[in-house]
Amino acid sequence: MTMLLVHLLVDGIVTGCSIGLVAATFAYFYSATGTFHVAHAGIYTFCCYVAWYCIGLDIPFVPALLIAMIVGALLGMMIQGLLYAKLERLKATPLVMLIGSIGVLTVLQNVSAILFSPNIIQFDLPWRTEYLEFGPILLSIPQLLIVILCPLLFLALQVFSSRTALGRQIRAVASNPELAQITHLRPQRMFLYAIAISSALVAVPGTLVGIDQAMQPYTSLIILLTAVVAVIAGGIGSLAGAFLMSIVLSIIQSVSVLFVSGRWSLGVVFAIFILFILLRPEGLVKRKFKREL
Amino acid sequence: MPLSATNLIAGYGGKPVLEKVSFTLDDGDILAFFGHNGAGKSTTLKAVLGLIDTIDGEITLNGERIEKMSVDQRLERGIKLLPEGRGVFPDLSVKENIDVVDAANRAKGSQSISASDVYDLLPVLAERRSSIAGELSGGQQQMLALGIALLGTPKCLLLEEPSVGLQPDLVEELFAKISEVCKDLRVPAILIEHKIVSAMKIADQVMIINSGRLVFNGSKAEAEKIDLWDYF
Repeated sequence: MTMLLVHLLVDGIVTGCSIGLVAATFAYFYSATGTFHVAHAGIYTFCCYVAWYCIGLDIPFVPALLIAMIVGALLGMMIQGLLYAKLERLKATPLVMLIGSIGVLTVLQNVSAILFSPNIIQFDLPWRTEYLEFGPILLSIPQLLIVILCPLLFLALQVFSSRTALGRQIRAVASNPELAQITHLRPQRMFLYAIAISSALVAVPGTLVGIDQAMQPYTSLIILLTAVVAVIAGGIGSLAGAFLMSIVLSIIQSVSVLFVSGRWSLGVVFAIFILFILLRPEGLVKRKFKREL
Repeated sequence: MPLSATNLIAGYGGKPVLEKVSFTLDDGDILAFFGHNGAGKSTTLKAVLGLIDTIDGEITLNGERIEKMSVDQRLERGIKLLPEGRGVFPDLSVKENIDVVDAANRAKGSQSISASDVYDLLPVLAERRSSIAGELSGGQQQMLALGIALLGTPKCLLLEEPSVGLQPDLVEELFAKISEVCKDLRVPAILIEHKIVSAMKIADQVMIINSGRLVFNGSKAEAEKIDLWDYF
């Protein structure tokens, strides 16, 4: 029983780290632009397919991951430049933006299926099923990469946001877009940078989860749903809240199989979400200034 | 004249709000601009900055016609707006507020007033450098908003209700600082203000607008001879 609990905890932490980066990058772009970018899930999957395709061409893992990140950044910039920016110029409501984003997600899912494969894909990497032992904990190499890389990239995003000139400019635009417009900060350019960064970063959990488990074009929506729950329950506008809440939710979801059937584990996440909305609507990490949903 | 408008007609969606508004401002002059809500004060400032289209008439900044220029082009020429109640980045610290705008101005190559100059002009900002802007008092936030507006190469300040939400003593302090800065830097300013008595203390010219038409435009001395309320 104890061993099972340890395994479930470790599973929860691994999943939480990958969803944490999805949630933090989603929150980052939402904070900057106010756009509920559900197409983020499509980029997550598409980048995984790009990495899979590159590895199929005998490109080593690291360059394949970097290519996937670059493709993710370019894809994100296309979505921002060709859709969101135009909708904003047309003064589209948040609902129209959301529907537009759902449309892009659907297109990306279908394009992934048409260009690559509609079936479950598995990476042809010899180390995919190799395991390392840390006392009672057994981790596959992809899982180890997830628990190392995802928190590191999350921290890098935090440092970028608070310590670099570009990161501060993006925060300034998020904080007061109207003032940014009249102080040479060029909000639309900052939005492009924000989506490029969040899309490049989401390629990492997308690829690593694909290597660890497998991938299908339509699986990412569930991951995004959990991530969005974490963003809201963690406190909208707080990247740390989103990341931490992802880990908490994933652990609860993982451990819940001890008490309820695995098929209800997502239901447990949403039950917690409803409790948060009712009891602590400001989220885990309270922020004084934030975009409201 | 550093800033002038001649028979300016501007409005929204091609429908005029302003009807042949004309004014001229000399170096360092402060134009107190009064009128009831919806009379056309903010529309005039938006027309000067290019946020709404000029339908007819001329706007000139330091001898250059600007009425057909984009907002960015006008910003590059030094027109600075202090928007009502939202002139700071509330999530960022005072230093970050100053730094991001300073960096953006440097990238544009326009930089006669840098971050250090702003701290010299407005010492309260230097004292509160690490404070989060949204947590500052109303007066300090307006000082910061003024500092942000001054960064770069200001050639004209457009001040939209800077006293909103401030206690009377802070209004006097802020206005004294605005006057000092305009005179020192020889930058003209249009000051939209509902606190008429305070604004009159620092004004050189006075303008009153009613339903898009200027109903009074004269020097402070001329304005002091009349009952301004008759024009509202």
